[in-house]
Amino acid sequence: MHRRTKHRIKMSLLNLFFIVACLLCIVPILYTLSVSLNGTNNILSGSFSFIPKEVTFDNYKAVLFNKPYLLWLKNTLILVIATVTISLAVAIPAAYAFSRFRFIGRKTILYILIILNAFPSILSMFAIYRILMPMKLVNSYLGLILIYVGTMAIFGLWNMKGYFDTIPIEIEEAGKIDGANDFQLVTKLIMPLAKPSIIVTAVMIIIFVWNEYIFAVTFMTGAEKYTLAAGLYALQATQYTRNWPIFSAASLLTAIPILIIFLVIQKNMVSGLTAGGVKG
Amino acid sequence: MKKRGYKKFIPYIYSFPGLALIGLMIVFPILYTGYISLTNMNVYHWFDFQVIGFQNYMKALFVLDTGFLTAFGRTIVWTIVNMVLQMIIAFVIASLLNVEGLRLKGLYKTILMFPWAMPGYISILLWKMGMFNTEFGLLNHWLNKLGFANVHWLNSNNIAFASSVMVNLWLALPFMIMIIDGALQSIDKAYYESATIEGAGYFSKARKITIPLLRPIIAPAVVITIFTTFKQFDIIYLLTQQQGSKTGADIHTIITYTYEKAFVTNNYGYSSAISIIIFMILIIFSLTIRGRLKGGDVDA
Repeated sequence: MHRRTKHRIKMSLLNLFFIVACLLCIVPILYTLSVSLNGTNNILSGSFSFIPKEVTFDNYKAVLFNKPYLLWLKNTLILVIATVTISLAVAIPAAYAFSRFRFIGRKTILYILIILNAFPSILSMFAIYRILMPMKLVNSYLGLILIYVGTMAIFGLWNMKGYFDTIPIEIEEAGKIDGANDFQLVTKLIMPLAKPSIIVTAVMIIIFVWNEYIFAVTFMTGAEKYTLAAGLYALQATQYTRNWPIFSAASLLTAIPILIIFLVIQKNMVSGLTAGGVKG
Repeated sequence: MKKRGYKKFIPYIYSFPGLALIGLMIVFPILYTGYISLTNMNVYHWFDFQVIGFQNYMKALFVLDTGFLTAFGRTIVWTIVNMVLQMIIAFVIASLLNVEGLRLKGLYKTILMFPWAMPGYISILLWKMGMFNTEFGLLNHWLNKLGFANVHWLNSNNIAFASSVMVNLWLALPFMIMIIDGALQSIDKAYYESATIEGAGYFSKARKITIPLLRPIIAPAVVITIFTTFKQFDIIYLLTQQQGSKTGADIHTIITYTYEKAFVTNNYGYSSAISIIIFMILIIFSLTIRGRLKGGDVDA
Protein backbone atom coordinates (compact mmCIF):
# COMPACT_ATOMS: atom_id res chain seq x y z
CA MET A 1 0.00 0.00 0.00
CA HIS A 2 2.73 2.39 1.01
CA ARG A 3 4.64 1.64 -2.16
CA ARG A 4 1.59 2.36 -4.26
CA THR A 5 1.04 5.78 -2.71
CA LYS A 6 4.69 6.56 -3.24
CA HIS A 7 4.39 5.54 -6.85
CA ARG A 8 1.29 7.66 -7.25
CA ILE A 9 2.96 10.75 -5.84
CA LYS A 10 5.90 10.17 -8.12
CA MET A 11 3.66 9.89 -11.17
CA SER A 12 1.67 13.02 -10.28
CA LEU A 13 4.86 15.00 -9.87
CA LEU A 14 6.09 13.70 -13.21
CA ASN A 15 2.83 14.61 -14.92
CA LEU A 16 2.91 18.04 -13.33
CA PHE A 17 6.45 18.51 -14.60
CA PHE A 18 5.41 17.64 -18.15
CA ILE A 19 2.30 19.82 -18.06
CA VAL A 20 4.43 22.81 -17.04
CA ALA A 21 7.09 21.93 -19.63
CA CYS A 22 4.50 21.62 -22.39
CA LEU A 23 2.90 24.91 -21.44
CA LEU A 24 6.25 26.71 -21.40
CA CYS A 25 6.97 25.11 -24.73
CA ILE A 26 3.90 26.41 -26.54
CA VAL A 27 3.40 29.67 -24.65
CA PRO A 28 4.76 31.85 -27.49
CA ILE A 29 2.40 30.16 -29.93
CA LEU A 30 -0.59 30.38 -27.58
CA TYR A 31 0.10 34.03 -26.91
CA THR A 32 0.27 34.73 -30.64
CA LEU A 33 -2.99 32.89 -31.16
CA SER A 34 -4.58 34.86 -28.36
CA VAL A 35 -3.38 38.19 -29.76
CA SER A 36 -4.56 37.32 -33.26
CA LEU A 37 -8.05 36.46 -32.01
CA ASN A 38 -8.41 39.33 -29.57
CA GLY A 39 -11.26 41.64 -30.49
CA THR A 40 -10.44 44.45 -28.12
CA ASN A 41 -7.03 45.81 -28.93
CA ASN A 42 -5.78 45.95 -25.39
CA ILE A 43 -2.30 44.46 -25.68
CA LEU A 44 -0.75 47.78 -24.82
CA SER A 45 -2.98 48.39 -21.86
CA GLY A 46 -2.46 46.52 -18.63
CA SER A 47 -5.78 44.75 -18.92
CA PHE A 48 -4.61 42.16 -21.38
CA SER A 49 -5.92 38.70 -20.62
CA PHE A 50 -4.65 35.50 -22.12
CA ILE A 51 -8.08 34.26 -23.09
CA PRO A 52 -9.68 36.88 -25.34
CA LYS A 53 -12.87 38.36 -23.91
CA GLU A 54 -14.13 38.94 -27.39
CA VAL A 55 -13.07 36.54 -30.13
CA THR A 56 -12.77 37.98 -33.61
CA PHE A 57 -11.49 36.81 -36.96
CA ASP A 58 -11.06 40.36 -38.25
CA ASN A 59 -7.29 40.12 -38.18
CA TYR A 60 -7.38 36.99 -40.30
CA LYS A 61 -9.78 38.65 -42.71
CA ALA A 62 -7.51 41.67 -42.89
CA VAL A 63 -4.57 39.45 -43.72
CA LEU A 64 -6.38 37.48 -46.37
CA PHE A 65 -8.10 40.40 -48.08
CA ASN A 66 -6.16 43.61 -47.51
CA LYS A 67 -2.53 42.74 -47.23
CA PRO A 68 -0.71 41.30 -50.25
CA TYR A 69 -0.84 37.97 -48.47
CA LEU A 70 -2.45 35.97 -51.27
CA LEU A 71 0.04 37.35 -53.76
CA TRP A 72 2.90 36.25 -51.51
CA LEU A 73 1.28 32.86 -51.13
CA LYS A 74 1.09 32.52 -54.92
CA ASN A 75 4.75 33.49 -55.29
CA THR A 76 5.74 31.00 -52.60
CA LEU A 77 3.79 28.21 -54.28
CA ILE A 78 5.44 28.93 -57.64
CA LEU A 79 8.86 28.69 -56.02
CA VAL A 80 7.97 25.60 -54.00
CA ILE A 81 6.55 23.67 -56.96
CA ALA A 82 9.38 24.59 -59.31
CA THR A 83 12.08 23.82 -56.73
CA VAL A 84 10.60 20.46 -55.71
CA THR A 85 10.10 19.35 -59.32
CA ILE A 86 13.54 20.33 -60.57
CA SER A 87 15.34 19.09 -57.45
CA LEU A 88 13.73 15.66 -57.63
CA ALA A 89 14.19 15.48 -61.40
CA VAL A 90 17.95 16.00 -61.09
CA ALA A 91 18.53 14.30 -57.74
CA ILE A 92 16.73 10.98 -58.34
CA PRO A 93 18.81 9.91 -61.38
CA ALA A 94 21.96 11.16 -59.68
CA ALA A 95 21.15 9.29 -56.46
CA TYR A 96 20.45 6.19 -58.54
CA ALA A 97 23.77 6.50 -60.35
CA PHE A 98 25.69 6.94 -57.09
CA SER A 99 23.87 4.05 -55.46
CA ARG A 100 24.00 1.48 -58.27
CA PHE A 101 27.08 2.18 -60.37
CA ARG A 102 30.72 2.09 -59.42
CA PHE A 103 32.58 4.69 -61.43
CA ILE A 104 35.75 6.73 -61.25
CA GLY A 105 35.32 9.74 -59.01
CA ARG A 106 32.27 8.37 -57.21
CA LYS A 107 33.70 8.37 -53.70
CA THR A 108 35.47 11.68 -54.19
CA ILE A 109 32.31 13.40 -55.39
CA LEU A 110 30.25 12.00 -52.51
CA TYR A 111 32.87 13.24 -50.10
CA ILE A 112 33.03 16.69 -51.66
CA LEU A 113 29.24 16.91 -51.49
CA ILE A 114 29.31 16.28 -47.73
CA ILE A 115 31.85 19.02 -47.27
CA LEU A 116 29.86 21.40 -49.49
CA ASN A 117 26.79 20.69 -47.40
CA ALA A 118 28.64 22.01 -44.37
CA PHE A 119 29.08 25.35 -46.12
CA PRO A 120 26.33 27.83 -45.24
CA SER A 121 25.19 29.37 -48.51
CA ILE A 122 24.86 32.73 -46.76
CA LEU A 123 28.66 32.96 -46.89
CA SER A 124 28.76 32.89 -50.67
CA MET A 125 25.64 34.97 -51.08
CA PHE A 126 27.49 37.99 -52.38
CA ALA A 127 29.37 35.90 -54.96
CA ILE A 128 26.08 34.35 -56.07
CA TYR A 129 24.63 37.84 -56.38
CA ARG A 130 27.51 38.96 -58.57
CA ILE A 131 27.34 35.85 -60.72
CA LEU A 132 23.59 36.08 -61.27
CA MET A 133 23.54 39.80 -61.95
CA PRO A 134 25.06 39.84 -65.45
CA MET A 135 22.83 36.88 -66.30
CA LYS A 136 19.81 39.05 -65.39
CA LEU A 137 18.81 36.49 -62.78
CA VAL A 138 18.75 38.88 -59.84
CA ASN A 139 15.21 39.92 -59.00
CA SER A 140 13.89 36.93 -60.95
CA TYR A 141 12.29 33.76 -59.68
CA LEU A 142 14.49 31.64 -61.91
CA GLY A 143 17.54 32.91 -60.03
CA LEU A 144 16.04 32.02 -56.65
CA ILE A 145 14.89 28.63 -57.93
CA LEU A 146 18.41 27.85 -59.15
CA ILE A 147 19.86 28.77 -55.75
CA TYR A 148 17.33 26.63 -53.91
CA VAL A 149 17.75 23.68 -56.28
CA GLY A 150 21.53 23.80 -55.96
CA THR A 151 21.28 23.73 -52.17
CA MET A 152 18.64 21.03 -51.95
CA ALA A 153 20.09 18.82 -54.71
CA ILE A 154 22.97 17.89 -52.40
CA PHE A 155 20.61 16.97 -49.60
CA GLY A 156 18.29 15.08 -51.97
CA LEU A 157 21.11 13.18 -53.60
CA TRP A 158 22.57 11.98 -50.31
CA ASN A 159 19.26 11.28 -48.68
CA MET A 160 17.84 9.23 -51.53
CA LYS A 161 21.12 7.50 -52.33
CA GLY A 162 21.14 6.22 -48.75
CA TYR A 163 17.68 4.81 -49.22
CA PHE A 164 18.37 3.33 -52.66
CA ASP A 165 21.31 1.50 -51.10
CA THR A 166 18.91 -0.38 -48.83
CA ILE A 167 16.84 -1.67 -51.77
CA PRO A 168 18.22 -5.10 -52.71
CA ILE A 169 19.80 -5.20 -56.13
CA GLU A 170 18.20 -8.60 -56.80
CA ILE A 171 14.88 -6.88 -57.41
CA GLU A 172 16.43 -4.97 -60.27
CA GLU A 173 18.10 -8.03 -61.68
CA ALA A 174 14.72 -9.72 -61.86
CA GLY A 175 13.43 -6.68 -63.73
CA LYS A 176 16.38 -6.71 -66.10
CA ILE A 177 15.74 -10.33 -67.01
CA ASP A 178 12.22 -9.29 -67.90
CA GLY A 179 13.75 -6.81 -70.31
CA ALA A 180 13.28 -3.50 -68.46
CA ASN A 181 15.69 -0.66 -69.27
CA ASP A 182 17.17 1.70 -66.69
CA PHE A 183 14.41 4.24 -67.03
CA GLN A 184 11.76 1.59 -66.44
CA LEU A 185 13.76 0.15 -63.56
CA VAL A 186 13.85 3.50 -61.83
CA THR A 187 10.29 4.60 -62.51
CA LYS A 188 8.55 1.23 -62.14
CA LEU A 189 10.63 -0.51 -59.48
CA ILE A 190 12.88 1.83 -57.52
CA MET A 191 10.64 4.87 -57.20
CA PRO A 192 7.64 3.00 -55.79
CA LEU A 193 9.91 1.20 -53.33
CA ALA A 194 11.73 4.40 -52.40
CA LYS A 195 8.52 6.39 -51.94
CA PRO A 196 9.05 7.12 -48.22
CA SER A 197 12.45 8.59 -48.88
CA ILE A 198 11.26 10.55 -51.93
CA ILE A 199 8.36 11.97 -49.92
CA VAL A 200 10.63 12.97 -47.05
CA THR A 201 13.02 14.62 -49.49
CA ALA A 202 10.19 16.49 -51.18
CA VAL A 203 8.77 17.63 -47.86
CA MET A 204 12.17 18.83 -46.67
CA ILE A 205 12.49 20.85 -49.87
CA ILE A 206 9.00 22.31 -49.40
CA ILE A 207 9.81 23.31 -45.83
CA PHE A 208 13.16 24.78 -46.87
CA VAL A 209 11.66 26.98 -49.59
CA TRP A 210 8.66 27.93 -47.48
CA ASN A 211 10.95 29.11 -44.68
CA GLU A 212 13.72 30.76 -46.67
CA TYR A 213 13.72 34.51 -46.27
CA ILE A 214 17.24 35.89 -46.46
CA PHE A 215 17.92 35.11 -50.13
CA ALA A 216 14.36 36.08 -51.01
CA VAL A 217 14.66 39.54 -49.43
CA THR A 218 18.17 40.16 -50.69
CA PHE A 219 17.58 39.09 -54.28
CA MET A 220 14.04 40.38 -54.77
CA THR A 221 13.13 44.03 -54.82
CA GLY A 222 9.56 45.15 -54.43
CA ALA A 223 6.95 43.68 -52.13
CA GLU A 224 4.92 42.32 -55.05
CA LYS A 225 7.65 39.78 -55.76
CA TYR A 226 8.10 38.63 -52.18
CA THR A 227 7.46 35.16 -50.89
CA LEU A 228 5.52 34.67 -47.65
CA ALA A 229 8.75 34.46 -45.68
CA ALA A 230 10.17 37.61 -47.25
CA GLY A 231 6.84 39.37 -46.87
CA LEU A 232 6.49 38.58 -43.18
CA TYR A 233 10.09 39.55 -42.62
CA ALA A 234 9.52 42.92 -44.25
CA LEU A 235 6.17 43.43 -42.56
CA GLN A 236 7.78 42.98 -39.19
CA ALA A 237 10.77 45.22 -39.83
CA THR A 238 9.02 48.31 -41.14
CA GLN A 239 7.94 50.56 -38.34
CA TYR A 240 4.87 52.09 -39.90
CA THR A 241 3.11 48.85 -40.77
CA ARG A 242 3.89 47.36 -37.40
CA ASN A 243 0.66 45.93 -36.30
CA TRP A 244 1.11 43.06 -33.91
CA PRO A 245 -2.36 41.46 -34.14
CA ILE A 246 -2.24 41.37 -37.94
CA PHE A 247 1.31 40.13 -37.93
CA SER A 248 0.41 37.29 -35.57
CA ALA A 249 -2.54 36.27 -37.70
CA ALA A 250 -0.34 36.24 -40.80
CA SER A 251 2.39 34.27 -39.01
CA LEU A 252 0.02 31.60 -37.83
CA LEU A 253 -1.60 31.28 -41.26
CA THR A 254 1.87 30.78 -42.73
CA ALA A 255 3.02 28.36 -40.04
CA ILE A 256 -0.03 26.09 -40.01
CA PRO A 257 0.56 24.24 -43.33
CA ILE A 258 4.13 23.42 -42.30
CA LEU A 259 3.01 22.43 -38.82
CA ILE A 260 0.45 20.00 -40.23
CA ILE A 261 2.81 18.48 -42.80
CA PHE A 262 5.43 18.10 -40.13
CA LEU A 263 3.24 16.39 -37.59
CA VAL A 264 1.87 14.02 -40.25
CA ILE A 265 5.24 12.84 -41.48
CA GLN A 266 7.08 13.20 -38.16
CA LYS A 267 7.79 9.47 -37.87
CA ASN A 268 8.93 9.16 -41.47
CA MET A 269 11.09 12.14 -41.03
CA VAL A 270 13.38 10.74 -38.39
CA SER A 271 13.75 7.38 -40.14
CA GLY A 272 13.98 8.97 -43.58
CA LEU A 273 16.66 11.36 -42.42
CA THR A 274 18.72 8.95 -40.38
CA ALA A 275 18.62 6.37 -43.17
CA GLY A 276 20.46 8.58 -45.59
CA GLY A 277 21.73 12.01 -44.81
CA VAL A 278 22.96 11.55 -41.29
CA LYS A 279 25.05 8.51 -41.97
CA GLY A 280 28.59 8.60 -43.27
CA MET B 1 32.90 -3.31 -77.39
CA LYS B 2 31.27 -0.11 -78.44
CA LYS B 3 28.35 -0.81 -76.16
CA ARG B 4 30.63 -1.29 -73.15
CA GLY B 5 32.31 2.01 -73.89
CA TYR B 6 28.95 3.71 -73.84
CA LYS B 7 27.97 1.98 -70.61
CA LYS B 8 30.93 3.49 -68.82
CA PHE B 9 29.40 6.94 -69.26
CA ILE B 10 25.92 6.08 -68.02
CA PRO B 11 26.40 7.09 -64.36
CA TYR B 12 27.97 10.36 -65.47
CA ILE B 13 25.05 11.07 -67.76
CA TYR B 14 22.54 10.30 -65.01
CA SER B 15 24.23 12.47 -62.44
CA PHE B 16 25.26 15.27 -64.79
CA PRO B 17 22.23 17.59 -64.43
CA GLY B 18 22.34 17.43 -60.64
CA LEU B 19 26.07 17.82 -60.38
CA ALA B 20 26.07 20.62 -62.96
CA LEU B 21 23.53 22.58 -60.93
CA ILE B 22 25.47 22.00 -57.72
CA GLY B 23 28.64 23.04 -59.50
CA LEU B 24 27.06 26.20 -60.86
CA MET B 25 25.18 27.33 -57.75
CA ILE B 26 27.39 26.05 -54.92
CA VAL B 27 30.93 25.27 -56.05
CA PHE B 28 31.44 28.13 -58.45
CA PRO B 29 30.22 30.79 -55.99
CA ILE B 30 32.57 29.39 -53.34
CA LEU B 31 35.51 29.58 -55.74
CA TYR B 32 34.45 33.06 -56.77
CA THR B 33 34.23 34.03 -53.10
CA GLY B 34 37.81 32.82 -52.80
CA TYR B 35 38.79 35.07 -55.70
CA ILE B 36 36.94 38.11 -54.32
CA SER B 37 38.66 37.56 -50.97
CA LEU B 38 41.97 38.34 -52.66
CA THR B 39 40.73 41.68 -54.05
CA ASN B 40 39.80 45.07 -52.67
CA MET B 41 36.28 44.84 -54.09
CA ASN B 42 33.85 47.14 -52.29
CA VAL B 43 31.09 49.55 -53.14
CA TYR B 44 33.59 52.08 -54.58
CA HIS B 45 35.52 49.43 -56.47
CA TRP B 46 32.68 47.54 -58.06
CA PHE B 47 34.37 47.02 -61.43
CA ASP B 48 37.87 48.46 -61.07
CA PHE B 49 38.93 46.30 -58.15
CA GLN B 50 42.47 44.97 -57.86
CA VAL B 51 44.00 41.78 -56.57
CA ILE B 52 45.63 42.68 -53.27
CA GLY B 53 46.76 39.25 -52.11
CA PHE B 54 46.15 38.18 -48.55
CA GLN B 55 45.60 41.64 -47.04
CA ASN B 56 41.98 40.91 -46.17
CA TYR B 57 42.99 37.76 -44.35
CA MET B 58 45.71 39.62 -42.46
CA LYS B 59 43.20 42.27 -41.47
CA ALA B 60 40.73 39.68 -40.19
CA LEU B 61 43.22 37.58 -38.29
CA PHE B 62 45.76 40.07 -36.98
CA VAL B 63 44.02 43.44 -36.61
CA LEU B 64 42.35 43.23 -33.24
CA ASP B 65 39.70 45.92 -33.51
CA THR B 66 37.98 44.72 -36.70
CA GLY B 67 35.57 42.70 -34.62
CA PHE B 68 36.24 39.40 -36.33
CA LEU B 69 38.17 37.83 -33.48
CA THR B 70 35.55 38.99 -30.97
CA ALA B 71 32.81 37.52 -33.12
CA PHE B 72 34.78 34.32 -33.45
CA GLY B 73 35.23 34.02 -29.70
CA ARG B 74 31.56 34.73 -29.19
CA THR B 75 30.64 32.02 -31.70
CA ILE B 76 32.69 29.48 -29.74
CA VAL B 77 31.04 30.51 -26.47
CA TRP B 78 27.64 30.45 -28.16
CA THR B 79 28.21 26.92 -29.45
CA ILE B 80 29.51 25.55 -26.15
CA VAL B 81 26.84 27.17 -23.95
CA ASN B 82 24.06 26.00 -26.22
CA MET B 83 25.35 22.48 -26.64
CA VAL B 84 25.95 21.92 -22.93
CA LEU B 85 22.53 23.23 -21.89
CA GLN B 86 20.85 21.38 -24.72
CA MET B 87 22.42 18.02 -23.91
CA ILE B 88 21.63 18.27 -20.19
CA ILE B 89 18.03 19.44 -20.59
CA ALA B 90 17.28 17.03 -23.44
CA PHE B 91 18.75 14.14 -21.48
CA VAL B 92 16.68 14.94 -18.39
CA ILE B 93 13.44 15.36 -20.35
CA ALA B 94 14.01 12.28 -22.49
CA SER B 95 14.78 10.07 -19.50
CA LEU B 96 11.72 11.38 -17.67
CA LEU B 97 9.63 10.61 -20.76
CA ASN B 98 10.87 7.04 -20.48
CA VAL B 99 9.86 6.52 -16.86
CA GLU B 100 7.69 3.44 -16.83
CA GLY B 101 3.99 4.04 -16.36
CA LEU B 102 3.86 7.53 -17.88
CA ARG B 103 0.59 7.18 -19.73
CA LEU B 104 0.41 10.46 -21.61
CA LYS B 105 3.89 10.13 -23.06
CA GLY B 106 2.62 10.34 -26.66
CA LEU B 107 0.71 13.55 -26.01
CA TYR B 108 3.59 15.22 -24.16
CA LYS B 109 5.98 14.26 -26.91
CA THR B 110 3.76 15.71 -29.63
CA ILE B 111 3.42 19.01 -27.78
CA LEU B 112 7.14 19.17 -27.10
CA MET B 113 7.78 18.69 -30.83
CA PHE B 114 5.83 21.86 -31.72
CA PRO B 115 8.76 24.30 -31.77
CA TRP B 116 10.55 22.01 -34.20
CA ALA B 117 7.57 21.93 -36.53
CA MET B 118 7.13 25.70 -36.63
CA PRO B 119 8.95 27.57 -39.38
CA GLY B 120 12.09 28.81 -37.64
CA TYR B 121 12.03 32.44 -38.75
CA ILE B 122 8.38 32.79 -37.70
CA SER B 123 9.14 31.46 -34.22
CA ILE B 124 12.03 33.86 -33.88
CA LEU B 125 9.94 36.83 -34.96
CA LEU B 126 7.16 35.73 -32.60
CA TRP B 127 9.65 35.56 -29.73
CA LYS B 128 10.91 39.00 -30.64
CA MET B 129 7.49 40.59 -30.89
CA GLY B 130 5.50 38.49 -28.46
CA MET B 131 7.88 37.56 -25.70
CA PHE B 132 10.76 40.04 -25.65
CA ASN B 133 9.06 43.26 -26.72
CA THR B 134 9.62 45.84 -24.03
CA GLU B 135 6.13 47.34 -23.99
CA PHE B 136 3.76 44.51 -24.75
CA GLY B 137 5.92 41.40 -24.58
CA LEU B 138 4.69 38.59 -22.41
CA LEU B 139 7.87 38.34 -20.35
CA ASN B 140 7.67 41.95 -19.21
CA HIS B 141 3.96 41.55 -18.70
CA TRP B 142 4.69 38.75 -16.23
CA LEU B 143 7.50 40.71 -14.59
CA ASN B 144 5.17 43.67 -14.08
CA LYS B 145 2.57 41.43 -12.50
CA LEU B 146 5.21 40.20 -10.08
CA GLY B 147 6.10 43.80 -9.31
CA PHE B 148 9.35 44.08 -11.24
CA ALA B 149 10.33 46.77 -13.70
CA ASN B 150 10.53 46.24 -17.45
CA VAL B 151 13.61 44.55 -18.82
CA HIS B 152 15.03 45.46 -22.22
CA TRP B 153 15.59 41.93 -23.38
CA LEU B 154 17.37 42.63 -26.64
CA ASN B 155 19.10 45.96 -26.14
CA SER B 156 22.29 45.22 -24.27
CA ASN B 157 24.83 42.56 -25.09
CA ASN B 158 24.63 40.15 -22.18
CA ILE B 159 20.86 40.02 -21.87
CA ALA B 160 20.45 39.85 -25.64
CA PHE B 161 22.91 36.97 -25.77
CA ALA B 162 21.03 35.13 -23.01
CA SER B 163 17.73 35.78 -24.81
CA SER B 164 19.19 34.36 -28.00
CA VAL B 165 20.36 31.26 -26.15
CA MET B 166 16.86 30.86 -24.77
CA VAL B 167 15.33 31.00 -28.24
CA ASN B 168 17.92 28.62 -29.61
CA LEU B 169 17.17 26.11 -26.85
CA TRP B 170 13.48 26.45 -27.53
CA LEU B 171 14.05 25.76 -31.22
CA ALA B 172 16.65 23.02 -30.91
CA LEU B 173 15.59 20.98 -27.89
CA PRO B 174 12.79 19.01 -29.63
CA PHE B 175 15.19 17.42 -32.10
CA MET B 176 17.63 16.47 -29.36
CA ILE B 177 14.87 15.12 -27.10
CA MET B 178 13.59 13.03 -29.99
CA ILE B 179 17.04 11.62 -30.73
CA ILE B 180 17.85 10.79 -27.10
CA ASP B 181 14.37 9.38 -26.55
CA GLY B 182 14.81 7.07 -29.55
CA ALA B 183 18.24 6.02 -28.35
CA LEU B 184 16.99 5.32 -24.81
CA GLN B 185 14.33 3.01 -26.17
CA SER B 186 16.93 1.01 -28.06
CA ILE B 187 18.85 0.18 -24.87
CA ASP B 188 18.22 -3.35 -23.66
CA LYS B 189 16.25 -3.23 -20.39
CA ALA B 190 18.12 -6.30 -19.15
CA TYR B 191 21.16 -4.15 -18.37
CA TYR B 192 19.16 -2.12 -15.87
CA GLU B 193 17.56 -5.17 -14.32
CA SER B 194 20.88 -6.77 -13.55
CA ALA B 195 22.25 -3.44 -12.34
CA THR B 196 19.29 -3.03 -9.99
CA ILE B 197 19.87 -6.52 -8.63
CA GLU B 198 23.44 -5.55 -7.94
CA GLY B 199 22.17 -2.55 -6.05
CA ALA B 200 23.11 0.28 -8.44
CA GLY B 201 21.33 3.61 -7.85
CA TYR B 202 19.92 6.02 -10.44
CA PHE B 203 23.10 8.01 -10.96
CA SER B 204 25.47 5.09 -11.16
CA LYS B 205 23.12 3.47 -13.68
CA ALA B 206 23.08 6.65 -15.74
CA ARG B 207 26.86 6.93 -15.59
CA LYS B 208 27.74 3.28 -16.13
CA ILE B 209 25.00 2.10 -18.49
CA THR B 210 22.91 4.84 -20.08
CA ILE B 211 25.52 7.38 -21.09
CA PRO B 212 28.13 4.96 -22.51
CA LEU B 213 25.47 3.09 -24.50
CA LEU B 214 23.84 6.31 -25.63
CA ARG B 215 26.97 7.96 -26.87
CA PRO B 216 27.56 6.09 -30.15
CA ILE B 217 23.87 6.21 -31.08
CA ILE B 218 23.41 9.92 -30.61
CA ALA B 219 26.89 10.99 -31.77
CA PRO B 220 25.94 11.76 -35.42
CA ALA B 221 22.94 13.86 -34.34
CA VAL B 222 25.06 15.72 -31.81
CA VAL B 223 27.70 16.48 -34.42
CA ILE B 224 25.07 17.80 -36.79
CA THR B 225 23.66 19.99 -34.01
CA ILE B 226 27.10 21.36 -33.18
CA PHE B 227 27.43 22.39 -36.82
CA THR B 228 24.00 24.01 -36.99
CA THR B 229 24.60 25.85 -33.72
CA PHE B 230 27.97 27.10 -34.91
CA LYS B 231 26.44 28.27 -38.20
CA GLN B 232 23.25 29.64 -36.61
CA PHE B 233 22.39 32.91 -38.32
CA ASP B 234 18.65 33.50 -38.02
CA ILE B 235 18.29 33.85 -34.26
CA ILE B 236 20.87 36.52 -33.59
CA TYR B 237 20.22 38.30 -36.87
CA LEU B 238 16.44 38.46 -36.56
CA LEU B 239 16.39 39.20 -32.84
CA THR B 240 18.92 42.00 -32.79
CA GLN B 241 20.21 43.00 -36.22
CA GLN B 242 17.38 42.93 -38.68
CA GLN B 243 17.59 45.81 -41.12
CA GLY B 244 15.23 48.55 -40.02
CA SER B 245 14.80 47.26 -36.48
CA LYS B 246 18.19 46.98 -34.88
CA THR B 247 18.01 46.79 -31.14
CA GLY B 248 21.43 48.17 -30.26
CA ALA B 249 22.95 44.99 -28.90
CA ASP B 250 26.20 44.03 -30.61
CA ILE B 251 26.36 40.26 -30.39
CA HIS B 252 27.76 39.31 -33.77
CA THR B 253 28.70 35.73 -34.42
CA ILE B 254 31.00 35.10 -37.37
CA ILE B 255 28.12 34.41 -39.73
CA THR B 256 26.15 37.56 -38.95
CA TYR B 257 29.43 39.48 -39.04
CA THR B 258 30.18 38.20 -42.55
CA TYR B 259 26.68 39.08 -43.71
CA GLU B 260 26.96 42.60 -42.33
CA LYS B 261 30.34 43.19 -43.96
CA ALA B 262 28.93 42.08 -47.33
CA PHE B 263 25.46 43.59 -47.40
CA VAL B 264 25.47 46.45 -44.91
CA THR B 265 28.94 47.97 -44.95
CA ASN B 266 29.63 46.64 -48.49
CA ASN B 267 33.18 45.51 -47.87
CA TYR B 268 33.02 42.57 -50.24
CA GLY B 269 36.68 41.56 -50.34
CA TYR B 270 37.00 41.50 -46.56
CA SER B 271 33.68 39.72 -46.09
CA SER B 272 34.70 37.07 -48.62
CA ALA B 273 37.97 36.49 -46.81
CA ILE B 274 36.04 35.79 -43.62
CA SER B 275 33.71 33.44 -45.53
CA ILE B 276 36.71 31.45 -46.66
CA ILE B 277 38.18 31.37 -43.14
CA ILE B 278 34.89 30.04 -41.75
CA PHE B 279 34.73 27.48 -44.54
CA MET B 280 38.22 26.28 -43.67
CA ILE B 281 37.26 25.96 -40.01
CA LEU B 282 34.18 23.94 -40.97
CA ILE B 283 36.18 21.65 -43.27
CA ILE B 284 38.89 20.98 -40.68
CA PHE B 285 36.29 20.39 -38.01
CA SER B 286 34.22 18.03 -40.13
CA LEU B 287 37.25 16.07 -41.31
CA THR B 288 38.49 15.50 -37.75
CA ILE B 289 35.05 14.63 -36.43
CA ARG B 290 34.17 12.30 -39.29
CA GLY B 291 37.48 10.52 -39.00
CA ARG B 292 36.78 9.89 -35.33
CA LEU B 293 33.13 8.98 -35.78
CA LYS B 294 33.17 6.36 -38.47
CA GLY B 295 36.66 6.00 -39.77
CA GLY B 296 35.69 8.27 -42.65
CA ASP B 297 33.62 5.64 -44.39
CA VAL B 298 31.76 7.43 -47.14
CA ASP B 299 30.32 4.24 -48.49
CA ALA B 300 28.12 3.59 -45.47
